[in-house]
Amino acid sequence: MFRHLSAVWTARHFLLALVQLDLRLRYRRSVLGVGWSLLHPIAMTIVFTVVFSQLFGDSNPVGYAAFALAGLAVWGFLREAATSGSRAFLQNEAYIRQSPMPYTIYTLRTVLGQAIHSSLALVIVVCLLVLWKGNPGVLVGLALAIPGMIITLIAAWAIATIGAFINAFFHDTAQILEVGCQIGFFLTPIMYRRSLLDQRGLGWVVDINPVNLYLSVIRDPLLGGIPSPEGLVQLSYAYLAAVVFTGVLVGLAAGVVSWLQKKVIFYL
Amino acid sequence: MAKIELTDVSIIFNAHPQKRVSLKEYLVRGLFRPSANPPMRVHALTGINLVARDGDRIGVIGHNGAGKSTLLKTLAGIYPPTTGTRIVDGKICSLFDIMTGFEPEATGWENILYRSYLQGETPRSIRGKLDAIAAFSELGDFLNIPVRNYSAGMMMRLAFSIATAIDPEVLLIDEVLAVGDLAFQTKAQARMRELMQSARLMVMVAHDLVSIRQMCTRVLWMAHGQIIRSGPTDEIVDEYVAAMHRQAQPAAAA
Repeated sequence: MFRHLSAVWTARHFLLALVQLDLRLRYRRSVLGVGWSLLHPIAMTIVFTVVFSQLFGDSNPVGYAAFALAGLAVWGFLREAATSGSRAFLQNEAYIRQSPMPYTIYTLRTVLGQAIHSSLALVIVVCLLVLWKGNPGVLVGLALAIPGMIITLIAAWAIATIGAFINAFFHDTAQILEVGCQIGFFLTPIMYRRSLLDQRGLGWVVDINPVNLYLSVIRDPLLGGIPSPEGLVQLSYAYLAAVVFTGVLVGLAAGVVSWLQKKVIFYL
Repeated sequence: MAKIELTDVSIIFNAHPQKRVSLKEYLVRGLFRPSANPPMRVHALTGINLVARDGDRIGVIGHNGAGKSTLLKTLAGIYPPTTGTRIVDGKICSLFDIMTGFEPEATGWENILYRSYLQGETPRSIRGKLDAIAAFSELGDFLNIPVRNYSAGMMMRLAFSIATAIDPEVLLIDEVLAVGDLAFQTKAQARMRELMQSARLMVMVAHDLVSIRQMCTRVLWMAHGQIIRSGPTDEIVDEYVAAMHRQAQPAAAA
């Protein structure tokens, strides 16, 4: 595995050049540039804020908007890692057929591009929070969320890699994942708060949902600002859970890579 | 020192004759009834042994589908051997499929960078070579526009210029490349000769027996994924030509 990672490191120039290209292409060709690609999460957030903050009895629209946008950013990142990441080998087939680079650089290409894209949404969240709270606690929250972002990035790379290998053998994997994500969106506390399910005794839906682990190490500290002592304990448990689950994902991905990397080229 | 050692290398993979298997089909068919689309075992290479050291110039001949390109891709490390071991020491330069793998939206300059990184260059080592690559391609200002606007000939010029810009130790060539217009072809052939001379070790697949005779010190004759004859160039090429004539004559008589 370490030999694999060092091969990825050797390929970093190639990888970063392509990530840069992907981002430039994404933000070029539109008057709004960066703004254009953020339009989707922002529009969703505005709709959610107008409709749901009323429905769910949230009295603070700015706070709700920050909550929804942060949730959407994390969710969107994981969704794209799973769906676009699954197509990485097919998209980079020409490179794969030419050069014996480690396969995981192609999933990392997708994941890194998405990560930068989603971070832009999180920047807006931070702006909203500053606007709302107007105190430096926001920065403490940001500092507490940054390790969470790194863990999420690693998890997303693992998910994309597993998905890409399966997708090379069964080409309908990406579609199945898309349907799964569509359903998952409603089962994840993104537009509603967890307390809403707890009141109805449905908290376990959230507990078994691994996406929630990553929400609780990014969105929750980011919105929480300076944590109380109990909050800090809760956060460390959340981190522990996220690290353990990510470790399992990485282990799975490493297993899939060593099992299939010698076969996959014959199925592309 | 550059070296190649293939020991008892075989490549076997499954291909589905009709279409790809979807996950749905796999689950439904696989669990409940035998597949209507059974996989076919393809023996692309069988029991290949090959040792080559500095100074060797190896030509590979044989009919289409004999496994010549598969052998080359195995040497390049793209196809992992199903059984057997592959050892290749030295910086590899592979000249095959060079027309694919361009980023269509990126400019010529950017594609030069991507390709060079793919071939193992670093930002520092590429700096000195960029201008040489650009000059060799003779594309001038066209390098500033996205390659999606290039003609096939321009793509070929660019691809060839990049692929041959590195100093290889192990050079792998699939077919002699017909590159661009006449003027460029002459230049490209000169560059190829230069490369072949500077590389420590070369393996070349070609149907053009004249260049095989000129360039190679040894020849492998492949059929059905196996090396059926190997030895000094002239001897094997003569045998090959004779065998092809024997095959062609009954067909012509009938």
